Amino acid sequence: MSKDDILEPGLKEKLSRQREQEWRKALRRDVSVRKRLESQRHKMPEQPPARRAANFLEVNLGYSLEMAREEAQRCLDCSDPGCVSGCPVAIDIPTFIKYIESGEIALALATLRETNGLPAICGRVCPQEVQCEKNCNLIKAGKEPVAIGHLERFAADYVRCNDQTVNESACGQAKGEKIAVVGSGPAGLTAAADLARLGYQVTVFEGLHLPGGVLTYGIPEFRLPRSILNQEIDFIRSLGVEIKTNFLVGRTATLTDLSQAGYRAFFVGTGAGLPSFMNIPGENLLGVFSANEYLTRVNLMKAFKFPEYDTPVPVVKKAAVIGGGNVAMDAVRTALRLGAKEATIYYRRSRVEMPARVEEVKHAEEEGIKFNFLTVPSRYLGDEKGRLKGLVLQRLTLGEPDASGRRRPVPVPGSEFEVEAELAVVAIGQSPNPLLIRQVEGLKLGRWGNIEADPVTMATSLEGIYAGGDAVRGGATVILAMGDGRRAARAIDQWLRKC
Amino acid sequence: MNRVILAERLVPNIFRLVVEAPEIARSARPGQFVIVIPDEKGERVPISLADWDEDQGTIDLIFLNLGVSTRKLARFKAGDSIQAVAGPLGRPAEIGNFGQVLLVGGCYGLAGFYPLARELKQKGNKVTFLAEGRDEAFIFWEEKIRKVVDGYLKVLKADCFASGDELGKIIRQLKNNNPELSRVVVMGCSYLLFIVSKITRELNLKTMVNLNPIMVDGTGMCGACRVTVNGQTYFACVDGPEFDGHGVDWAEYFNRRKAFLRQEEQALSSYLNKTLD
Repeated sequence: MSKDDILEPGLKEKLSRQREQEWRKALRRDVSVRKRLESQRHKMPEQPPARRAANFLEVNLGYSLEMAREEAQRCLDCSDPGCVSGCPVAIDIPTFIKYIESGEIALALATLRETNGLPAICGRVCPQEVQCEKNCNLIKAGKEPVAIGHLERFAADYVRCNDQTVNESACGQAKGEKIAVVGSGPAGLTAAADLARLGYQVTVFEGLHLPGGVLTYGIPEFRLPRSILNQEIDFIRSLGVEIKTNFLVGRTATLTDLSQAGYRAFFVGTGAGLPSFMNIPGENLLGVFSANEYLTRVNLMKAFKFPEYDTPVPVVKKAAVIGGGNVAMDAVRTALRLGAKEATIYYRRSRVEMPARVEEVKHAEEEGIKFNFLTVPSRYLGDEKGRLKGLVLQRLTLGEPDASGRRRPVPVPGSEFEVEAELAVVAIGQSPNPLLIRQVEGLKLGRWGNIEADPVTMATSLEGIYAGGDAVRGGATVILAMGDGRRAARAIDQWLRKC
Repeated sequence: MNRVILAERLVPNIFRLVVEAPEIARSARPGQFVIVIPDEKGERVPISLADWDEDQGTIDLIFLNLGVSTRKLARFKAGDSIQAVAGPLGRPAEIGNFGQVLLVGGCYGLAGFYPLARELKQKGNKVTFLAEGRDEAFIFWEEKIRKVVDGYLKVLKADCFASGDELGKIIRQLKNNNPELSRVVVMGCSYLLFIVSKITRELNLKTMVNLNPIMVDGTGMCGACRVTVNGQTYFACVDGPEFDGHGVDWAEYFNRRKAFLRQEEQALSSYLNKTLD
């Protein structure tokens, strides 16, 4: 069984059936390929960099209806759409885009919702440039790809802002069996939504006081406004999913307790909550934070509104962020918005190896974030009060490729130098949250403490327990977590029907 | 939301809330804590579980009235609802056959030790409780604790800085008279943890301290509560809160607790201005 088989059996046939509908043929007839190729990709309207660097409002403002329809018209409605195979949840991308072209935005959203419970979020945080848009056939014609992510976000926002409702596709027959989903991040919410649609009674257990997982504590408002996140979560609740917050599975109750309470199957999406540090001198000085702590204070606890909210966060002149992924970008741009005069990324490889989304790096540069490549801290410097005052950094050069295929950074002897900073945020990755998974007897774990799961069905070594997202992958993306959740939901359904 | 069943002031600066939390009451173990969020804009504050009642479905929270969060909690009345309570968190305290155990409690630790004392006793240990406080008016739960321990001693001094000598005298005497005394556990203010660890180190007497560093999530996700013990960094929320008192890097511990002193003062004065209006 392949990934596509469990997600969308008969995907190819479905895509071509949709493409052969009369309205689609008419659209293709009405506008020539030449005309479609003429227009340029619409740029996303944004808050000007100088203004947005001082607020927490969303950077991207979204397409207008007119822009969206023009952008949708650039899509050639190919017979072999590469975009769909680049999407981890196999969204029927041509159909939703063609609905936008014809002005049927609610139908576009309904198409998205068939395979994606969180389109307003994916449109904002997916790395489209390495997924759907990377496979857009316009690239072969020497053009920029269709702005699939911007259009996805548009469909969700437009329907919400214009108070249109989407008819939910008929739910499966109520099956009555109770299923527990542990963690309310992207993997858990997706699994919950799909299981509810299949007719199961789903309860999501969340340890923190607000649902959303990394979408709530990790991703800042300027990338994903809370109002949008909350509406997506409300949509999932509207499918009949119950979300219990402040409930730590493994502590408040064990999996065995829940099993005795009648839960028949489990999906574990507990994320990668354990922050990595570098174990270098000075790491416990005041002013050195894990990215998780720094971002949780600001995003979950709203420290940017201190003292209206009780949780504080340091406000500094010079901030240093270690790392080159999305979390590092979020942290450094947060420091800038909190008033840092100088906010700098220190990354051990070079620009091309940075794992962050291209759009985030572009936004960060426009806002005045500094980038210092091929550097790594070797120790932190404190003042007499134990507060951070600077970093000692080491220059690196790129050597032979390592296991990940990226060239391995090698220290340059005698290249150490000092910089000043009162805040350092360590954003070099996380490993799976051990709170629950180390307590489950017999659960097979991988090398980094991650849960081992079948890559297709997401089944773990224990019958009836499935897992996905960063708890399995270590540190991946929202959309890969969602793909895991979807496949696990199908597999749980198949397993329960068998037994 | 968790409903408050009972709210009382135990001594001038320490309060008690009995709160509905049936799932926590069912799972709680001695030495564990909960994260409490007083209201919608509140912090996540760790508070030790001083007791619980599985049948009633309630837990006992006992805390020192100090900063904004605990002042907010101190204003709760029976029937009010707390925004959130999550737990139980932290590793349960070790309960073995230690022979004789000395529990040293001050401040909220006067009550926070109740579950541990009870279970150590049930396990067949001889348990002595040493209470530390300003004067009689600051001691509480004495009768309740006396019922589950073999001996209850008190050191009453103006503040814990002044009590070091007397604590030293009592602990040395206990050690001399009771060769089976093999373990000391301490809960209360940071200085009490530090000074008792210093005394017992000289006596080569194993001592566990209940650390109470700044926390945010309390579930091992953020590392705000990093402590160095025997040269290694731990997260107190998941690796603790009980640690070897002789291995703790006390200078770092005291310092990290002061990380947000300036902001805490600012928050308190802004809160006091608001509540006085």
